[in-house]
Amino acid sequence: MNQKIKWGIAGAVVLCVLVVAFVWGGDFASKDTEVLSGTSSPSASAEISPTASASASPSASPSVSPSASPSASAAAAVSAKPSAAATEAPRQSISPETGKDAYQTEPVPEGQPVPVEPQEVEVTDNELTCTISIRCDTLLANMDSLAPEKRALVPADGVLLAERTVTFHEGESAFNVLRRETKQNKIHLEFVNTPVFNSAYIEGIGNLYEFDCGELSGWMYKVNGWFPSYGCSRYALKDGDVVEWIYTCDLGRDIGADGGWQR
Amino acid sequence: MKDVFSSYHPFVNLCYFVLALGCGMFFMHPVCLALSLVGGFSYMAVCKGRKALGFGLKFMLPVLLITAIMNPAFNHRGVTILTYLWSGNPLTLESILFGLATACMLAAVLCWCACLSEVMTADKLVYLFGRIVPALSLMLSMVLRFVPRFGVQLREVSAAQRCIGRDVSNGSVFQRMRHGIRILSILVTWSLENAIDTADSMKSRGYGLKGRTAFALFRFDRRDGAALAVILLLGAVMLAGGVCGVTTYQYFPSLAGGEPSVWAALVFVAYGVLCGLPLMFNGWEAQKWKRLQSNI
Repeated sequence: MNQKIKWGIAGAVVLCVLVVAFVWGGDFASKDTEVLSGTSSPSASAEISPTASASASPSASPSVSPSASPSASAAAAVSAKPSAAATEAPRQSISPETGKDAYQTEPVPEGQPVPVEPQEVEVTDNELTCTISIRCDTLLANMDSLAPEKRALVPADGVLLAERTVTFHEGESAFNVLRRETKQNKIHLEFVNTPVFNSAYIEGIGNLYEFDCGELSGWMYKVNGWFPSYGCSRYALKDGDVVEWIYTCDLGRDIGADGGWQR
Repeated sequence: MKDVFSSYHPFVNLCYFVLALGCGMFFMHPVCLALSLVGGFSYMAVCKGRKALGFGLKFMLPVLLITAIMNPAFNHRGVTILTYLWSGNPLTLESILFGLATACMLAAVLCWCACLSEVMTADKLVYLFGRIVPALSLMLSMVLRFVPRFGVQLREVSAAQRCIGRDVSNGSVFQRMRHGIRILSILVTWSLENAIDTADSMKSRGYGLKGRTAFALFRFDRRDGAALAVILLLGAVMLAGGVCGVTTYQYFPSLAGGEPSVWAALVFVAYGVLCGLPLMFNGWEAQKWKRLQSNI
């Protein structure tokens, strides 16, 4: 009897450790899961917004003005004239020793939005729109380096999700919008949270994974023609942003990324 | 029931298990997995008797379930999205099926290994490898013998310690821990000493020396030759099937493979015969025995 209890306790301890490892490890989307589930579908957001505001407003409305507003309100203003607003927007806090911020990002070039930490952002029920598209046309030219069983997954025109305008809530990141759109359009998406970069990393879309087409291949994103130097969870979208998800077979060189962050 | 296949020549046994384990580990086609699991489990039931069922329920079923659950929790590949997991990644049909397939493979290999340990006893190993690699085969047979002997000795030491009130069942938690460590220390000392004793004893008998012969009861007769021929023929068919890709099955990104053809059917029949071979030998032997009895 005693023996049985001992084994039971040992089993429970092992199970607890496994659960803790699973939650703390990379496979668990911590904050933005809850944020997203509140505003799961843009089409239904009109009905949802009262409940969403009821739950989020007590903390959202006061805190927006002091802490999150510089980036958010500036971002709203920026959409028209990026360069002017960039001077007002708070810059990243760069550590003098490493020349990088707390999440390994080098200084963002002038005129581009700085990263926003997803855990600090308050999502408001202010509805904005952006366009999103998912393409893998670089694969069409590199079909022979793709595994045979994956070839059927590449559409003839290389477009997984045609460009479309979607609604999102102010404060949501490029990652939030990608997750919602892939879910709605029944496109497969696998990501992993990387605490070092404080962002989700997109491993595969539509079962096309990183390294599927050589060791320099994977998914990249581009907003208004610029490939951000930080993760998609830290890119706070503005009204009218054009987000493109593109598969690269050559570390971005074949899709026009200048690779500023590589230097 | 007494296992007849164990009485075959050790080389036949060795060839058979190399083939059965190799095919069981590398062929992930659902049909192959099912054949291997059924064959392995039923042969284990013959070898181990009633113990096999307990082993299957107590040990293999949990391993099977855990493996089958773990895979879809961490593997999100596959085109058929069933639902979304708590982490935000998709739960796919393909990952569940792949988890089940790996669980079946693991269970089948465990069954075959259990049979292997019953059939390939230490004397057979020493007979097979004693000439080629004397040191290794002696070590292997010692290691194989070590586990059961360690258990027996553990019970002995524990019983002796209990008499003087120093077993793991006596005293407070800390005292128990100290007693446990003491018993472990006694056991380790015993096993080291025992190993040196065995090595010295074998050396003094001239084990591994040139020109020494070893007495063995094994004789390669006509029955063994026929069995070996059948095993090698089936192995050749399986190898050809594996090279042609009949036994491979695609789980990701979508399930594919296993188009029915005459060649595929032939390979699967061959694999079924291979997995059921020891049972067939047993059956033939029983029939022969019955016929001889009725002739008297």
